[in-house]
Amino acid sequence: MSAERLVSWRNRWFAWSVGAVVSLAIASLLIGFIWLPSAQKDMSSGSLWDMICRAAGAPTTWYQGPAAPASRPATNVVLTSDFLQRVDATEIGRGATLAMQCVMCHGARGMSEAASPNLAGQYPDVVYKQLRDYRSGQRSNVVMQAMSQGLSDQNMRDLAAYYAFLPQASVVAHGATEAPQLVRVGDPLRNIPPCASCHGGIGRKIGSPWLEGAPAQYLQTQLQMFAAGTRRNDINGQMRNVARHMTAEEMSMVAAYYADQPALAGARKLP
Amino acid sequence: MLHSKKLVLAHFWVAFSAFAIAILLGEWQMFVRSPLSQWVGNPEIYYRSVTAHGTVMGYVFPTLIAMGFGYAITEISLGQRLVGRRWAWAAFWILVGGALMASAPVAAGRASVLYTFYPPMIGSVFYYLGVVLVVVGSWIWVALMSVNLWTWKKANPGKPVPLAMFGNVAGAYLWAWTAVGAASEILFLILPVALGFKTTIDAGLSRVLFSWTLHAIVYFWLMPTYIAFYTIVPRSIGGRLYSDTMGRVAFALFLVFSMPIGLHHLFADPQVGAGFKFIHAVFTAMVSIPTFLTVFTIVASVEIAARLRGGKGAFGWVKALPWDNPTMLAVAFSFIMLGFGGAGGLINMSMQMNETIHNTQWVTGHFHLIFAGAIVIMYFVIAYELWPQLTQCASMPHRLMRWQLWLWFIGMMVLTIPWHFVGLLGMPRRMAYYDYSHPDIHPQAWGVVASVIGGAILVASALLFIWILARAHRVPKATPAPYRFAAAVHEPQHVPVALNGFTLWVALMIGLTVTNYGVPIYQLLTNPMSSVPAVPIGGVP
Repeated sequence: MSAERLVSWRNRWFAWSVGAVVSLAIASLLIGFIWLPSAQKDMSSGSLWDMICRAAGAPTTWYQGPAAPASRPATNVVLTSDFLQRVDATEIGRGATLAMQCVMCHGARGMSEAASPNLAGQYPDVVYKQLRDYRSGQRSNVVMQAMSQGLSDQNMRDLAAYYAFLPQASVVAHGATEAPQLVRVGDPLRNIPPCASCHGGIGRKIGSPWLEGAPAQYLQTQLQMFAAGTRRNDINGQMRNVARHMTAEEMSMVAAYYADQPALAGARKLP
Repeated sequence: MLHSKKLVLAHFWVAFSAFAIAILLGEWQMFVRSPLSQWVGNPEIYYRSVTAHGTVMGYVFPTLIAMGFGYAITEISLGQRLVGRRWAWAAFWILVGGALMASAPVAAGRASVLYTFYPPMIGSVFYYLGVVLVVVGSWIWVALMSVNLWTWKKANPGKPVPLAMFGNVAGAYLWAWTAVGAASEILFLILPVALGFKTTIDAGLSRVLFSWTLHAIVYFWLMPTYIAFYTIVPRSIGGRLYSDTMGRVAFALFLVFSMPIGLHHLFADPQVGAGFKFIHAVFTAMVSIPTFLTVFTIVASVEIAARLRGGKGAFGWVKALPWDNPTMLAVAFSFIMLGFGGAGGLINMSMQMNETIHNTQWVTGHFHLIFAGAIVIMYFVIAYELWPQLTQCASMPHRLMRWQLWLWFIGMMVLTIPWHFVGLLGMPRRMAYYDYSHPDIHPQAWGVVASVIGGAILVASALLFIWILARAHRVPKATPAPYRFAAAVHEPQHVPVALNGFTLWVALMIGLTVTNYGVPIYQLLTNPMSSVPAVPIGGVP
């Protein structure tokens, strides 16, 4: 017993155990770092050493493409639930005057005929926040960024108060359509909450517009922009996360659905 | 001869009491997120419960069982008094103190970070310190097991170490090394943030360090069960162990292959290289070897018992087995659950198939089937076997014990099979509520309800178990025959030096840790951009 040495190649247990473990380690290293990566285009470019480093999770060179845009906040606006809840006629009047420059696209009474969003009866926090985001460049649009440059903070509040004051005109419905599943219940397995949970129907979250009667093309474009990340002024990225998981067909379907809906009946509450 | 009865009994009673409380929390969790209940109003309450359930079941309960059983094995198998009994008591109280210290902030909602810590979430510092104390207590046990084996070896030069003690010390060394990962994570990454010295944490490095512990800890939980397979079952059912050497090889292989495999928990982690994920998958597959060796050896041992009882034929011997013996029943149940759980585990460790079930309820189902099923049912057997020795009760209620084991087996199957199924349907884990009214989620509803029923059966079984243990303290006393572990068909007279110690296996374990973890850890350590802001849980830490 005492004659038997553990650490010796003559000891079969030692030789076999160490030999087997080392062989297994080498074989799996060769497969995991050379053979398998060589079958993948993005893993195998460059030299053999590059490939091995990539498989180790430590590439010899990191991403060389154009730099990602510097991150900036989605918006500078902080909204509270009592925003513009008490406005007086003066503010609405000032807003009506300012709105003269908006009629070309958004319609004389806030109902658009130019595939721009309807603003009549829109929540004041929505109009105010979008104007602020246009002015700061956090939401981009050739026309709106230019239009918003001349507006003071009070101007924007007045515009928001005015449009909130306008009654929501009814849009003629082509026929009663059943709300699509995405609008009613979303798709939890893809992390898509129902549209109605923020945009009205189930609930309304501050900063979310009502969408009934909005032009289909406008809605579809916005969804595409959220999905592509070219529009990114949703505060917590919620619309980007939703839109990224939607197919092109789903975007056009929900856009068509909302465009087809009659606007909510009844005017907004008067000041 | 068992001398330190009080010590072992204290470990077992604290372990099983904690287990009985934590199982109630588990069933409550199953219930509140099932369609049978309203959504839990505050999800934090749910995570608080999950943290407590996981911390008790993952750290406190199995560690105390391994420690108590380890002390018993030392005295019974080596035939010597435990060396360092005062240290053992100190370790016990440190562990109990740590468990209480960790429980308080969890109960107060200050550490709902789940037992796997999940940085960048940061809870109360006392939670982590409590867990550290639990680990420190267990390390004292590791040292004691080592010292006791060494003392025995000095007194018995050249003699084969008894198999039970060999497995016991293998488990101790495995735990000592595997705990290093989570201990480093807590000491170097989490505590500086929890104490307020830092506001950022390297979450990727934390995950890698935790994976060091996270899978090997399962084999630490498993060790008492395997010791029971090899050294309790054959004698208990009236047979002999088929091969002593096979047992030693299995324990040695667990020591080697338990460690370098933890990254299979991080297959979806972008901070770990694909090559290392593959290597860890390969070594995870290697764990099936000691498992198959064990299944073969134990089935062979059971067959020996059956043939000694007159069993005949290729399969006819199965009928001759002592099915009224609770141990026989338990080992059969354990193997069935190990079979299903192991099959599921092969899916978890395969990088591509893992994609399907990653982070779904399948995983929760899997580890409950293996740990709470195959492993814990043998903890019951260990307690049942040792209880007459520990309490000197004259008899154990075999009928009730069979009931208890049947209930545990049925409950566990009803709990975990639907759990796997809803995971396949895509149900994510670690969620406080699900909207079963949604058409996509509705098909999962019956499975969750079934799991609630399975959980209720398990609660009944656990309470019955506690009652059986408590009953033993009240029944008439009798001096039991000295306990002995199973004898092998061929008792070892001479054991190769490699299988009589741990040097080779511990060296291979550490070597493989270095090859399989060295680069991923070094790379994250040296990457200056991998820290993220910490997220305090339950107020400012």
